[in-house]
Amino acid sequence: MTPQTNSDSAQPFDPASRRHFFSRCAMGLGGIALASMLDRSRLSAAPAPASGPLADPMAPKSPHFSPRAKKVIYLFMAGGPSQLELFDYKPRLISLNGQPVPESLIAGKRFAFMDSSHGTKLLGTRRAFAQHGESGAWVSDLFPHTAGIVDDITLVKSCAADLFNHAPAKLFMNTGSGQFGRPSMGSWITYGLGSESQNLPGFVVLQSGPRGPRGGAVNWGTGFLPTTYQGVPFRGNGDPILNLANPKGITATRQRQAIDAIRDLNLQHAVATGDAEIHTRIAAYEMASRMQSSAPELVDISGESEATLKLYGIEKDKPSFARNCLLARRLVERGSRFIQLYHTNWDSHGGPGENLEVDFVARCREVDQAQAALVTDLKQRGLLKDTLVVWGGEFGRTPMGENRDTTGRNHHIDAFTMWFAGGGTKAGTIIGETDELGFNSVTDRAHVHDLHATILHLLGLDHKKLTFRFQGRDFRLTDVHGNVIQKLLA
Amino acid sequence: MSAFCSRASLPFTLSAALAYTITLTANALAAPVDFSRDIQPILSDNCYHCHGPDAASRKSGLRLDLHSEALAGGKSGLATIVAGKPDDSELIARIFSHDSEEVMPSSESNKTLTAAQKDLLRRWVAEGAAWGEHWAYVAPSRPSVPTLSSSAAPIANPIDAFILARLAAEKITPSPAADRSTLIRRVSFDLTGLPPTLAETNTFLNDSHPDAYAHLVERLLASPHYGERWARPWLDVARYSDSNGYSIDAPRQMWKYRDWVVSALNQDMPYKEFVIEQLAGDLIPQPTTAQKIATGFNRNTQINQEGGIDPEQFRIEAVMDRVATFGSTFLGLTVNCAQCHDHKFDPIPQKDYYRLFAFFNNTVDDGHGEGVPGGRLSFASENGPADTFVADIAQVRADLAQFLEPYAAQYPAWRAQTTPESRAKLRQNIGTALTLPWEKQTLNQRRAVFLTFGGENAKFTALHEKLAVLEKHEAKATTTLIMAELPQPRESVVFIKGDFTRAGEKVTPGTPGILPPLPATPGRQPNRLDLARWLFEPAHPLTARVMVNRIWQQYFGLGLVETENDYGSQGAPPTHPELLDWLATEFAAQNWSMKAIHRLIVTSATYQRASVARPDLDLADPLNKLLGRQNRLRLDAELVRDVALSASGLLVPKLGGPPVFPPQPDGVMTLGQNRRAWVASTGADRHRRALYTHHWRATPHPAIAVFDAPDGFSACTRRLRSDTPLQALTLLNDLQFFEFAGALAARIQSEGGNNDSTRLDYAFRLCVARPPSAAERTRLIDLLRQLQTPASNSTAEPTATPLEAWTTLARVLLNLDETITRA
Repeated sequence: MTPQTNSDSAQPFDPASRRHFFSRCAMGLGGIALASMLDRSRLSAAPAPASGPLADPMAPKSPHFSPRAKKVIYLFMAGGPSQLELFDYKPRLISLNGQPVPESLIAGKRFAFMDSSHGTKLLGTRRAFAQHGESGAWVSDLFPHTAGIVDDITLVKSCAADLFNHAPAKLFMNTGSGQFGRPSMGSWITYGLGSESQNLPGFVVLQSGPRGPRGGAVNWGTGFLPTTYQGVPFRGNGDPILNLANPKGITATRQRQAIDAIRDLNLQHAVATGDAEIHTRIAAYEMASRMQSSAPELVDISGESEATLKLYGIEKDKPSFARNCLLARRLVERGSRFIQLYHTNWDSHGGPGENLEVDFVARCREVDQAQAALVTDLKQRGLLKDTLVVWGGEFGRTPMGENRDTTGRNHHIDAFTMWFAGGGTKAGTIIGETDELGFNSVTDRAHVHDLHATILHLLGLDHKKLTFRFQGRDFRLTDVHGNVIQKLLA
Repeated sequence: MSAFCSRASLPFTLSAALAYTITLTANALAAPVDFSRDIQPILSDNCYHCHGPDAASRKSGLRLDLHSEALAGGKSGLATIVAGKPDDSELIARIFSHDSEEVMPSSESNKTLTAAQKDLLRRWVAEGAAWGEHWAYVAPSRPSVPTLSSSAAPIANPIDAFILARLAAEKITPSPAADRSTLIRRVSFDLTGLPPTLAETNTFLNDSHPDAYAHLVERLLASPHYGERWARPWLDVARYSDSNGYSIDAPRQMWKYRDWVVSALNQDMPYKEFVIEQLAGDLIPQPTTAQKIATGFNRNTQINQEGGIDPEQFRIEAVMDRVATFGSTFLGLTVNCAQCHDHKFDPIPQKDYYRLFAFFNNTVDDGHGEGVPGGRLSFASENGPADTFVADIAQVRADLAQFLEPYAAQYPAWRAQTTPESRAKLRQNIGTALTLPWEKQTLNQRRAVFLTFGGENAKFTALHEKLAVLEKHEAKATTTLIMAELPQPRESVVFIKGDFTRAGEKVTPGTPGILPPLPATPGRQPNRLDLARWLFEPAHPLTARVMVNRIWQQYFGLGLVETENDYGSQGAPPTHPELLDWLATEFAAQNWSMKAIHRLIVTSATYQRASVARPDLDLADPLNKLLGRQNRLRLDAELVRDVALSASGLLVPKLGGPPVFPPQPDGVMTLGQNRRAWVASTGADRHRRALYTHHWRATPHPAIAVFDAPDGFSACTRRLRSDTPLQALTLLNDLQFFEFAGALAARIQSEGGNNDSTRLDYAFRLCVARPPSAAERTRLIDLLRQLQTPASNSTAEPTATPLEAWTTLARVLLNLDETITRA
């Protein structure tokens, strides 16, 4: 008995059963089961707390209706890749290269860096385009591997966003709002569906490229949702998860001895105080302990075949987007719900380190083979049918050139291309068209809110019903907007 | 948005809350229907969206948030509400309708009324459809303290009378007082954020004087650590950070503001002055340096230094953040909901929002937030007086800019002398400058251009060298951001749909119409100082309630008003309205002394009760809103570190000064856009309280962030408490916590006596202020034996040295739920 238990207060158990319980709990895990049974029998009389003491907020939950997709892999091209160099082939723009942009197109529009002198002349692409697959999708020579999977993906050429600076736009794409403090898509989805993994986080973030995405952790933050649903960044080097490895000099056995003792003492205190929250903490320590062995197993790709490594283009022991694509597949296999890959430095204004001729081409090489391999690999393993793959940046690029050291392109929010694969999307389809200069969508405009509504729909979630009450209001990922893009559904 | 850090509870708690509501509703059945308690929440939740304050989204011309309009009915001409005659009331007909076209709420709204809610509405109309003003807009009047006929439970002060009266009504017996070791640990954390030392615990346990607890409270209230402890929740609402945020997240110096808060609290500055100085210290006649520093409250906004931005857009974002913060911090209202349209639930028209906006729209800071003249104070040294350095450097910069301006004409010729290849070879600054047209160049880029091409020029050289000297000083200078008014106020307008490019009607500064009027300011426009003073008008219904409630929630986990940032019609009604009003009026009566409110709460019997759960209470009051017992609360993020530092004996209790850099795992800083260095502090700064850890908004210290510290993006009025595997990994494996465990082990060995039993006792008491129970002792002795006995099989662990064994034991203790919990 601890001093916390005042003799005058009601006793949760009679002392005899508690002693019995202590003797059991020294024997290890059986103690937990017993304690939880004891607690449940106590709580069974009380209808109010809907949860058992070991309720896990990440336990799998039923969606609103039958889902087409169960997992999501989101390939986020941070910085805004140019659709005009990759997918949106505009012969008219090429023929008008160097001409001033028609005033009618830019009247009343606002652009980053566009207040002055970077020029507003049209820029035709210098890339070679060809049609591929049965869908006849146009893909440029920068994406030869992606060109090979066009019949497995759906291109949406008419995407539209609201915000044209990187940090707010990235927030908008991730949270449906340019303001700070809203939950990210991955948080909403793990809040709505939980995770199927008991050993790994439900929402994982993987990063490649020379720097982190602008804005940092808010992109995978939970806003007002419980932090349980926060994205867990895996690192390319060292421990995949922060503080995953035991402290130096602490062996696995010694760590287990410590965790066992923590558990037993926590359990004793849970009985003494009757506080169900302690059981949540015990469960968190057990999950942490399992993560300590399963996360290194996850990132250890030595068991993957030579053919697989070759398919993705992975160089051993080198952090890369390709390696992250393979890890994404492995996470899906192990039950994680939402995996987001960031590949940075797509910003192509034309200045040093950001020109369309060298830097952009290098970015394309870094992702092309691996993203195609991911789709192919998921497909051949039968995982693609319930894994949704999403590809895109926070916005696209302007049909006008931007004159820096070289001619690049500015941020453009009115029309850009994203693609989707698997998870109940309609393969080999092209949705939306832009005008002859690639400036605006002329059909099937797909706003970010619509994309969010559609992703949730594919997962069996009604975007109008996935809500969380905060500050007296029911909030949604799609705020008060969003329509499911029916054409995207298989 | 404001207060977004405030994470609401987990879904299972929500269902518990629902069950609770139903219980209370059932209890309420016998009593007459009360408009504010029973009816308005239903109308607000289900009807106001289409029939509420927002004119733009109002349907059928029907408005149900105002009595006269609700009675008048909508365009249909049908009588919406006929008092006493539910069968003649269209409202009742529509909610009971079985016709899917007719039924309200409509199917599009995604809202449905429960049978109980429909019955309540019907009964309300039948009973006469009495209307009442929303409680939060009516100034609190001093309620009389309930007299309890016979109560076995002690009444230490009026708080207990209010709490016990409600418990008695619900037939709940309160828990007895907590034992003394729990009590000293609880009140030490709550007043200073630090655990009691062993000596302090012993003194208290052995003090049989009836005033022992009162003396303890006085000692803690007088401790300088009181200011550190209570600064933290205030810095949460002030969205304090040591960096600029957005994508670039450059460092900023704001610690003088943080220290001002600590010091003001320690001096028990009345809340009235505390608020007025932070909102408008610069406008007080002949302001002191300290009063100017205080205005940093509103300079804790983010600054966007990303390329290609429109600075005006982000200046306005900062002003909007100030309005949202003002709303949630002082009014407990979501005024920011009226940024784009009239408020959907509360009577705050969009114009009222922009009238508040107009108060904050007149300061010198621009969207880039660079060292604009007047926007920063500089100091001759860390603790020295304010100096004119910032003004000086701003002046030289202005002079240099003026000098360089005419050279725009020559720039194209200079630039033509170079080629992309030759530019690539130049130093980066000039190389980059030459890729840009003149008008896009920064002052430093133009300066580099002139240095390269401009030739000899005495005036340039003088300015350039003077600036270079000042710049050298600039990197090291101690500065802090402050509010400073423009000589001429900006014109403020309503932004249509909140879009700053769409100017609407002009507005002048003013306060929301639903609240008491701002006293007249003859001959001039009201300013921030008038706004700050208005908060303390005797008739103001919100200022005192909102603050006492936020103090209360720190002590019990939830406020008397659970929705601490929403007192509007969507907010939760107070669990103890009379107690809230009594505390609010007491706050004003005690000359706004915050220490007086702290003293009242911690000396109440309600606060001192045991927190042990009780099956009978779980059934009757599962969320313990009636406070039949205390609540166990996990320590806030900073205190999780501080308790381990204290137990290990490493804590350096120094107050104030520039932020410090305790070690963090490698790689954290690569998660932001700009890779910034994190050079771990050595010496004393390695072991300071977490309050002083440098806060980067984009890459916060992981050991703080993982325990739910707010991100500093917007005002956080309440932290919630998550419980995750990543927290477990932090306490188990983080370098710093391992270091603390090592120090604790050494301390146990040197100070804990000679045998395992006394050492265990000592270690246990350092962490949780009580000795271990017999079972706990047995388990830990087992662990020590396990560690120090060679196992039989060949792959076994080598036998631990005594230091290793005690380090493991220390790790176990520092990881205990009890160690990081205030019981």
